[in-house]
Amino acid sequence: MIRRAPLALASVLAAAGLTLTACSGGSSTADAKAPAASTSASATPSAHTPAGGKPHLTVSGAYVPQPVGDLAAAFLVVKNTGGGDDTLTSVTSPVSGEVSIHKTVNDRMVEVKSFDVPAGGTLDLARGGDHIMMMGVKKPLEQGQRIALELHFRKSGAIKVTVPVKAANYQPAAAQ
Amino acid sequence: MHKKQLTAAAALVAAAALTLTACGSGSSDTSAKPKAKSSSVADVSGAQKPGAATVLDPPFTKPDLVLTDTHGKKFDLRAETKNKPTLLYFGYTHCPDICPLTMSNLGIARKALTKAEQAKLQVVFITTDPERDTPAQLGKWLPAAGDPSFIGLTGDFKKIQAAARSIGIGISPPVKKKDGTIESSHGAQVVAFSPKTNGGYLLFGSTTTAEQYAKALPKIIKGEKP
Repeated sequence: MIRRAPLALASVLAAAGLTLTACSGGSSTADAKAPAASTSASATPSAHTPAGGKPHLTVSGAYVPQPVGDLAAAFLVVKNTGGGDDTLTSVTSPVSGEVSIHKTVNDRMVEVKSFDVPAGGTLDLARGGDHIMMMGVKKPLEQGQRIALELHFRKSGAIKVTVPVKAANYQPAAAQ
Repeated sequence: MHKKQLTAAAALVAAAALTLTACGSGSSDTSAKPKAKSSSVADVSGAQKPGAATVLDPPFTKPDLVLTDTHGKKFDLRAETKNKPTLLYFGYTHCPDICPLTMSNLGIARKALTKAEQAKLQVVFITTDPERDTPAQLGKWLPAAGDPSFIGLTGDFKKIQAAARSIGIGISPPVKKKDGTIESSHGAQVVAFSPKTNGGYLLFGSTTTAEQYAKALPKIIKGEKP
């Protein structure tokens, strides 16, 4: 009973927010929109997104550790600040004809068909966890080089990223 | 009884390390789930710094294991590494992430040692995917992934699995999928064996950095605790 109230309120606010956005906000009432919308999104990502909400994706922190031989992995973070869910369905790259996406279960890589990027959520492809795998890399990748990756999302379409090749033991600073 | 408890503790530490990696690299608003998990696990294990060595007391017994090295010769683990500081890791060469990361970290840490220390240190990589990891494949991959001095061993999977299990490391057999791809598994830990007692007395997780290994190796070479 009590739990239902804030959710209803949140969706009302979110709806209100949408209308306010539509009429080019800027007034003080528009400020109320952002927190309300994000609260509803993080509490229950999909159930309370306003109908017709669109995902808004940003990709950051991408890197490829310098591989041994022709098998490489890529790591990155996809953030969805929009109001709709999205799904990473595939990845392509000119450096490899066989790019697949994997999750890690009990230290075993398991290929998956897709990764969810819920509204207000983050898809974190990080060392020891979920990752992009590139097999049969055509030319050896060296540290300092940059490669192209194209991430294909169900709703947002393709997002192109340029990914630096880092040292074999590179870890993003945040992980230390 | 004792050993069982220890294995459980080791697994717990490994789990903590893994969860820490998962949330450590994320941005501040990564879903709250892994964060909550890691803090609760960390509380149990005493809030250890990620990547730091865990002292195993009592230590593991070095597995009695005879396999094939990268030259195609028989390698008796106990005999060949007797009274030598030895690091043992279970992984496979078609591994995109943690196996090359671990070998790279150990290779970098080894370079920071003196020549005399380097001569003593034994790094042993035992494959969890013997069908694909032939002596030749290991011999090609290991020097590039880690260091030419590293010892690569292959052989019967069941023997390898039993040896891994005896030092608290769980690996499962490679699975061939319908589309022909093979999914293998690797160990999450490196176990260090003392040159004094030959016991496996230190455990490192997959979050241990090259710097942390570089600090610990001179101690391990003397059989001391870091």
